[in-house]
Amino acid sequence: MSFPISLRAEILKTRRSAAFWLSVIGAAFIPAIFFLMYFFKPGVFAQKVDNQPWKSHFTNGWQALSIFMLPMFIILTCSLIPQLEYKNNTWKQVFASPQSLGNIFFSKFMTIHLMILFCFFLFNLFMIVSAVTVNIFNKSYHFLDHTIDWSFLLRLNFKTYVSILGISAIQYWLSLRFKNFIAPIGIGLALLITSLILMQWEHIYKIPYAHPLLTFLAIKKNETSLLANHEWNSIGYFITFTALAFADMKYRKERG
Amino acid sequence: MPKRSLHSNKMNAPVIQTRDLDFSFSAAGKTLDNVNLVVPQGSIYGFLGPNGAGKTTTLRLLLGLLRMQKGGIEIFGKNFSQHRIDILKRTGSLIEQPSLYLHLTAKENLEIFRIIYGCSKSRIPDVLRVVGLENTGRKKAKQFSLGMKQRLSIAIALLHQPELLILDEPTNGLDPNGIIETRELIKKLNKEHNTTILVSSHILNEVERMATHVGIIHKGKMLFQGTLNELQHMKTGQAALEIETNDNTKAIQLLRQQFSAKQQHEKIILPLGDKQQTAAINRLLVQHGIDVYALHPQQNDLEQLFIDITSNDI
Repeated sequence: MSFPISLRAEILKTRRSAAFWLSVIGAAFIPAIFFLMYFFKPGVFAQKVDNQPWKSHFTNGWQALSIFMLPMFIILTCSLIPQLEYKNNTWKQVFASPQSLGNIFFSKFMTIHLMILFCFFLFNLFMIVSAVTVNIFNKSYHFLDHTIDWSFLLRLNFKTYVSILGISAIQYWLSLRFKNFIAPIGIGLALLITSLILMQWEHIYKIPYAHPLLTFLAIKKNETSLLANHEWNSIGYFITFTALAFADMKYRKERG
Repeated sequence: MPKRSLHSNKMNAPVIQTRDLDFSFSAAGKTLDNVNLVVPQGSIYGFLGPNGAGKTTTLRLLLGLLRMQKGGIEIFGKNFSQHRIDILKRTGSLIEQPSLYLHLTAKENLEIFRIIYGCSKSRIPDVLRVVGLENTGRKKAKQFSLGMKQRLSIAIALLHQPELLILDEPTNGLDPNGIIETRELIKKLNKEHNTTILVSSHILNEVERMATHVGIIHKGKMLFQGTLNELQHMKTGQAALEIETNDNTKAIQLLRQQFSAKQQHEKIILPLGDKQQTAAINRLLVQHGIDVYALHPQQNDLEQLFIDITSNDI
């Protein structure tokens, strides 16, 4: 039984699931707000985004996303996808099917990450659509006169994705551990708020829940390093907690 | 407690064999105590016991849903822990309440498992027809009645045409019609595809109507294991006299002249007559120089258990 088969089955399970709709709605929320702001207050915003309109637009969008919405989205997605099995009592059917524990564990984790990347993709798409649509209605914006800085956008996406790796592994582990979805969401939310409060602390780069915001701040300051310190930390947390979560599942007394 | 392990049809190699299976959830007590389950190939094995006897725990161990603590499990003649995936490929299961993705349709639920088991697309309409759910269309599983959910779960278990089916209380929560249908389906699968079926139940009546073999578990211990005939024989309350001597072979030869005596393990068993007859048997043995160590009516622990199980009807 190979990994792609397990992955296909996992992806099929997310069809019309809450996790899927969360990705779509989560990705559409901020672009929709920007659309409304630009549309109804062109006097204020047309000037604000006039110099390098795409860069300002994306920076504003990702700022709104990275502070709170994105970590929250990761926390929810990591919880909703394992919840599919808990809620439906299907863990036992999954563990009694001919799949290795590794395939079960990693196909689900990979599905979570595909869902996150899907949300990233939709977010960028909706941000572009919202700007273009506004510009069609209101000529005081100049999005259509400028080209999108794809390399900047790609860098922003890549570094932000790296910054959420740590959170995703911790939350996935918590979500596998607790049958009740309130527990991982509550713990995640508490840690997220704590890290936002501690933002000025000199060791904040060690706290995974602050990583997306730190990445955003670094990009805003035009830092050019491929990966910042906290991003390496994020990768470290990712590897550690993924291994821990897998070992936890493997050595559990009772499955499903 | 005497354990009556009656050896059934030896021609068939067992599909499932457990060896001294022990399991405890906490230090407080054993949920399973020395369970030796033998499910012969091609049988419908009714696994009977009151609620909380250890049926589900045993079945979960057989599927690897619980980590084995002590003992051994062999399925299809292979060690379970070493050949987990091979064994699960050939096994279909339904454990406790239905496990379905409620936000998906019947077909989508089956499609997930079709991919995992790698069977052909034509199996989906096939199994839907078998369980009578071919017309549910776009209806999601959450809109199904309990009976329909149970049937869809059975369809999932049948999807890859398993050689072994493990069904935990498949008729639980079904209406009388559903119970009959499920029973007929189990019999049909067994007859037409020679599927070995291990089905648990807490209702004696139900097991008697479909099983070829029966195992009875109570408080984590196997009390009886054998064919349905052997069970029925036992149930009719045929009281027996149990004798232990220093020379069983000689004693049996002697007793067979008058009684239908047989040897079971280290004991001689014969039908229980009145007190005078018991005294006469003792005298006969002693007069022929045989030392009698024990002579007493056989304990029948099953009787009370049958009452427990039968009174627990539906």
